[in-house]
Amino acid sequence: MKMNRRQVLKAGLAASAVYSPWMIARAQARPVKLAAILPLTGAFAFAGNAALDAFRDATDRINDAGGIGGRRFELVVEDDGYDVARGTAAFNRIVQRESPEELVFVYGNSTGLSKALAPEITRLRLPYTATSFSNELADPKTYPTIFVFGPTYNDMAGALLQQIRRQKGRGAKIFLCYSNSEFGRDPIPFIKEQSARLGFQIVGEEVTPLAIADATPIVTKLRQAQPDFVIVHGYVLTVEPLLIRAAREQGIRATFMGTYYSAELALMQRAGAAADGFIVAYHNAYYYDTTVPAVEQIRALRRAKGRDLSYRTTYYMGSWMAMDVIAEAMRRANAAGKLNRPGMIEALDSLGDYNAGGQVRNMRWVERRLPFTKLWRANVRDVRFDAITDWVDGSKL
Amino acid sequence: MDFSLVVQTILNGLANGALYAVIASGFVLVYRATSVVNFAIAEFMLIGAYLTYTMSLFFPLLVALLLALPLAFAFGVLVERGFVRPLLGRNVVAVIMATIGLAATLDGTALILWGPDQKAMGAADISQLPKEMPNLAFNMGGVFLSSKAVWSLILALPLAILLVTLLKYSRYGILLRAVSESETAALAMGINAPRVVAVAWGISAMMAAIGGAFLAGAAGGGGPGHHLVLLGLIVFPVAILGGFDSVPGAVVAGLLIGLIEAFSQLYLESFLPGITQAIPFLIVLLVLLFRPYGLFGQHRIERV
Repeated sequence: MKMNRRQVLKAGLAASAVYSPWMIARAQARPVKLAAILPLTGAFAFAGNAALDAFRDATDRINDAGGIGGRRFELVVEDDGYDVARGTAAFNRIVQRESPEELVFVYGNSTGLSKALAPEITRLRLPYTATSFSNELADPKTYPTIFVFGPTYNDMAGALLQQIRRQKGRGAKIFLCYSNSEFGRDPIPFIKEQSARLGFQIVGEEVTPLAIADATPIVTKLRQAQPDFVIVHGYVLTVEPLLIRAAREQGIRATFMGTYYSAELALMQRAGAAADGFIVAYHNAYYYDTTVPAVEQIRALRRAKGRDLSYRTTYYMGSWMAMDVIAEAMRRANAAGKLNRPGMIEALDSLGDYNAGGQVRNMRWVERRLPFTKLWRANVRDVRFDAITDWVDGSKL
Repeated sequence: MDFSLVVQTILNGLANGALYAVIASGFVLVYRATSVVNFAIAEFMLIGAYLTYTMSLFFPLLVALLLALPLAFAFGVLVERGFVRPLLGRNVVAVIMATIGLAATLDGTALILWGPDQKAMGAADISQLPKEMPNLAFNMGGVFLSSKAVWSLILALPLAILLVTLLKYSRYGILLRAVSESETAALAMGINAPRVVAVAWGISAMMAAIGGAFLAGAAGGGGPGHHLVLLGLIVFPVAILGGFDSVPGAVVAGLLIGLIEAFSQLYLESFLPGITQAIPFLIVLLVLLFRPYGLFGQHRIERV
């Protein structure tokens, strides 16, 4: 095909525009974004604000290191007040407002919200994780873009059941106390099923609201049931301190156990001496454990930024770990020339060799979750949780 | 049926009910004085609990609670002066919306002032264990009462009864009743109605502070936090059952709901999970259907 002079000039202009430094700079100037829907107000504000603190620290760390392949990393934050309707509205706002080329990951909140959003997240092919460790979310066949950055509540319960098997063996008597919420009910069928298989006896079950005024009626049932172990799940230190306090006052000697959201030092602060011996399943590092490289990274960053170096909660640590891993996935996706939503899924799946600085055992996904956890025992004298096991695979009972 | 278990359940139910009674009586007091339904009553509990927490960082808990009470009183008066009084005489819906707005404002204020972290009474940082009221828990003949229950019975219940007595026999009680009957007539009689109303808000905030402090672990096993707002919702069924404008009604209804909750938790919860949470609101439904003026409310017909 012959081109005249005018056509050649036009083609030349178009090519120079496309490949001009201006266009390259524009593409690089486009930020890469993560949206976080957090409970910054309401009953879970302590967790949401700690997570935001961690996200901001991690964002600074990413951008101080040059962003993601030269693109600035940006956080988009919305408050859901731990309310599914508000969270859903926030999610809709985010996905309508943000460009799919820029928004490559959403970090959501709560079991209820995550379950409500899961079909839409799948439809949008949007990489997603949440504060929830719901078993239902770790299902790559149904929800191929959802990742659970830790063990599910079933895995945590599995680790606790392993401990019961070690401590007591067949015939152990278990009492279940859980909140009347998606969060609270999540691992209960699994615990019952596995207890039957392992020869444990469920001697009582109590379902309560997220907050209660008095634990005496529950303790009365404990006195009648005489359990060896009490598994408490689905609270955020609103019920556990009241319950163990009242139980110890009434001479109940059972071992109390809890999952991730009971694993915070505030348990001891609220329950006092009664919390001693409380066993929790928790899969990140504690801020006071300076032997963990990730803790040193956090401290170094906060020191350099002139930020408060005092204790950071477990909610902070879990959020930092998630951000660290997501940032690594972004770097890998960028290196592969696929810093977009499908590229992020591939990059997250490729993280098996990534060292998360001791914050988790490893990054090898099993059904899109990380089933390993540790068990810790409350040590009230030192106001710490002491590890009583190495990494335990909660899915292997 | 185990007799000691029944006695224990009754006593624990009364203890919890005493807390409900003390909070609800303050709520009803404000309604009587000003006809304002204070939808921010749970936030009054929250602020009262945080004031007790702040004092507990410097003083033993019992002293902290006593010091927090005048602060709570001042807070109540401040709310009345700054927020409620300018709205008096306006459309009732406007005032209701305003108190809902007040609730959101107080939630946010508490978050800003005290921060979002989980706290425990008397513990300034995470390395400290909580301060508590002296432990009065006892076990007698198989009847066990927790320290919180004993403190509720010896502190909250007498306070609620004292409020009822003062309203009936004291000069201030008579003035308040006069203002609640007709503010204009009371003013014409030379009664300082604005002061009477301000005192009612102050007392209401004090009562909420006592309830809030105990529900936030003043007698062990908890801490101040937004979950108090969830617990504070119980005030509405208590007030409606009591008759909404009757302080003695609120006290009786508080004790009654405390008892019903305790028995429900013990005997019904195993068969019907979640029933204890629902029962107070089922009672409200029944009351509104069959006895809209509650147990002790005035039989009034209002033309609207």
